[in-house]
Amino acid sequence: MSTISVSNLRKSYKDVAAVDDVSFDVEHGEVFALLGPNGAGKTTCIEILEGFLPRDGGEVQVLGVDPGQRGQQQWLRTRIGVVLQELAVESFFTVRQVLERNAGFFPSPRPIDDVIALVGLTEKADAKVKKLSGGQQRRLDIGLGIIGRPELLFLDEPTTGLDPGARRTTWELIRTLSGEGTTVLLSSHYMDEVEALAKRVAVLRRGQVVATGPPASLGGRDRGQVSIRFTLPAGVAASDLPFTPTRVDATAVEINTNDEVVVLNEITNWALQRKVTLTGLDVTRKTLEDVYLALTHEEFDNAKGATNG
Amino acid sequence: MAEASTTARRHLLPRDVRLVVHQVRYEQLAFWLNRVGAIFTVVFSVLFLVMLGGSAGQSRIRWLGNIKLIVYYVPGFVAYGIMSACFTTLAINLVVRRETGQLKRLRLSPLPARVLLAAIFVSTTIVSLVQVVLLLVIGRFGYAVRLPGSWTAFALVLLVGIVSFSAMGVAISTVIPNQETAGPVTSIIFFVLLFLAGLWFPLGKHSGLAKFSNYFPVIHLIKAMDAPFEFQPGVSPWAWHDLLIIALWGAGSVLVALRKFKWSPRRS
Repeated sequence: MSTISVSNLRKSYKDVAAVDDVSFDVEHGEVFALLGPNGAGKTTCIEILEGFLPRDGGEVQVLGVDPGQRGQQQWLRTRIGVVLQELAVESFFTVRQVLERNAGFFPSPRPIDDVIALVGLTEKADAKVKKLSGGQQRRLDIGLGIIGRPELLFLDEPTTGLDPGARRTTWELIRTLSGEGTTVLLSSHYMDEVEALAKRVAVLRRGQVVATGPPASLGGRDRGQVSIRFTLPAGVAASDLPFTPTRVDATAVEINTNDEVVVLNEITNWALQRKVTLTGLDVTRKTLEDVYLALTHEEFDNAKGATNG
Repeated sequence: MAEASTTARRHLLPRDVRLVVHQVRYEQLAFWLNRVGAIFTVVFSVLFLVMLGGSAGQSRIRWLGNIKLIVYYVPGFVAYGIMSACFTTLAINLVVRRETGQLKRLRLSPLPARVLLAAIFVSTTIVSLVQVVLLLVIGRFGYAVRLPGSWTAFALVLLVGIVSFSAMGVAISTVIPNQETAGPVTSIIFFVLLFLAGLWFPLGKHSGLAKFSNYFPVIHLIKAMDAPFEFQPGVSPWAWHDLLIIALWGAGSVLVALRKFKWSPRRS
């Protein structure tokens, strides 16, 4: 049974569809990412799964129960961990005090010192929250998310606003938790984050899933076109090449192909026979960013009108 | 179930009550650790009483049975202390916690909403009572002001006051859009009403200000609090009319709070 199963989920705010017919499944123990620009519906999806928001339509199961049913919410909340976009930690407490307080909400919490060690805050255990850096606060936030030994952890844009070092340590923490068997539903608008952490991803655009799959094969990037680029050798015309280039500008030649092995073989053979060098020869597959931008393209025209969430 | 045998003692109390006790501890810790908040609430009411007591000297209020001004101030500042803890401080606290996502986060924890709200109310009551005790002690031993003649009437005023003004604090928090305006909005409302209620300068009963002020609950809590102190012989310690108006404001606020209370930040 899937840890999360969503089918045909719908949610509107007034007349605007925030989530419009979204379906996906998250398997036990995997890190699943919702990727999309602001306003694509990531947070709305997550809040429905957490049982915080009611839905307008569709079927949702989280850990085998319907989070929209009031009677199930208490049960669910002892089994999930939630980390919000906001660093929502009381600033006057020490790290230990906040964790002790939240530990008291759960039937069998993790030992406080284990959590502190896991999130790498042992040296800061008795420091006030307000004295922590942004990255440390985020790690404490994740510590609060896991204090109840959740089977499922929701991380809503966990590294937004963090510096690169803090992002890396947060990633390490998420990998550790995942390694322990915690299922993670992550939302992000960073491609590198999703690529580094997620086993599978659903790309959202305007409340709809526009692609699903492992980051490496998203949008056919593992199979699709490869682009081969090099500088046109001096004294050679584009028409002399053994292939018709996709694009030729001032100096560079670009060949987009699905058959890169064959094309490269012929191009290099041709260059060796003609005794010319292919300066700057470069073979690139589409990056996740290329795929993402292509998938969510329209969103950029409307970015200004988009709301958070 | 292993838990039951090892922690049998804790299970004498229902789970909700244990959770309220747990959460109250941290509500209290948060209140006292936030020094600015604690100073604005507790230290202010005490300081006001001490300063006004000093400046009042031997002044008396002729139309109020010729009582000393400080005698008038003690119940007034007891009322002030309650309103400041339950209305201003509670409202600001709720807005800040809502806007920073703390309320949402607690909502998504297994802590039931009823437990959280009960704990916030108990904590607010504790802060109120700490002030009441401090003010009574200062009044009694600093200025030889007589303690309430009817403790039962006094306790009833405390109960109605704390419950109703807490409800008003929750209600006003629902209409304040962000944490930046929470302090100014609640303080302005509170101090204007306090001034109109004659906390610092007793108002003539038939002045226009007093009539206007009568529509609001602040003056009624001050009057209701005066009654058990029995300024003049033969006056009832039970100010039923004032208590009723406070309770009506409280009930109206509960309705507003039930309809408008939000767990998540407004801006999102």
